[in-house]
Amino acid sequence: MKLITCIVRPDKLDAVTDALDKQHIVGMTVTDVRGFGRQKGQVEHYRGGEYTIRFIPKVKIDLVVQDGDTEAVIATISKVARTGNIGDGKIFVSDVQNAVRIRTGEKGTSAL
Amino acid sequence: MSTVLFEEPFATVPGSSPNDQPGHSEMKVLSCIIRPESLEAVKTALDQLQVVGGMTITDVRGFGRQKGQVEHYRGGEYTIRFIAKVRVDVVVRTEDADRVVAAVSNAVRTGRVGDGKIFVLDVRSAMRVRTGDRGVLAL
Repeated sequence: MKLITCIVRPDKLDAVTDALDKQHIVGMTVTDVRGFGRQKGQVEHYRGGEYTIRFIPKVKIDLVVQDGDTEAVIATISKVARTGNIGDGKIFVSDVQNAVRIRTGEKGTSAL
Repeated sequence: MSTVLFEEPFATVPGSSPNDQPGHSEMKVLSCIIRPESLEAVKTALDQLQVVGGMTITDVRGFGRQKGQVEHYRGGEYTIRFIAKVRVDVVVRTEDADRVVAAVSNAVRTGRVGDGKIFVLDVRSAMRVRTGDRGVLAL
């Protein structure tokens, strides 16, 4: 199993959810986060002053999938969340050793 | 302070130590998605085990197999896609992981849909920032 962690624009959350729905992804966890990437935030102009917003609000989507589904899910998310502008976000993939469905105690991929 | 904290590189060459082999790390992180009201029960259960030094709590929202829940309000039907949950992250020694998984799942199980999930991932390295302690010493 793999954990796919995607940092995306908050307004892309619905699009990502809908697209993953069609791939029969059966669960995800969403967290409001803030952060910056290469550009180190963005510069805003307000009433003549210049302000740097270091930490830009983003949404983090965590989903755990079977190894074989990883590439398809990554492709879907990067297609749907892409605008081509700076700030589209990133996708990270890590190994998951085990999963437990708490209600039934099922383990491994059947807990997904 | 004259102590040199960082004499070894923090990241070793991938694959160079047994700790880097998938599934053979000294530490695991248990990422538990639970009902918000179960948080106290988890805290109590982990306190009793005495193998967990700390935990990190995040308010999250998400859905599982049921794709959210349907609520009725003033005659209308609304689907709440993302249900509020709490994520508890604890890092433990690998040999304690099974016991902690059992303790958390026993503490939060109601038997109803929405009890949540526990994911177990390798932790390659850890550091207590104040002292520079590495590995399991940092837990």
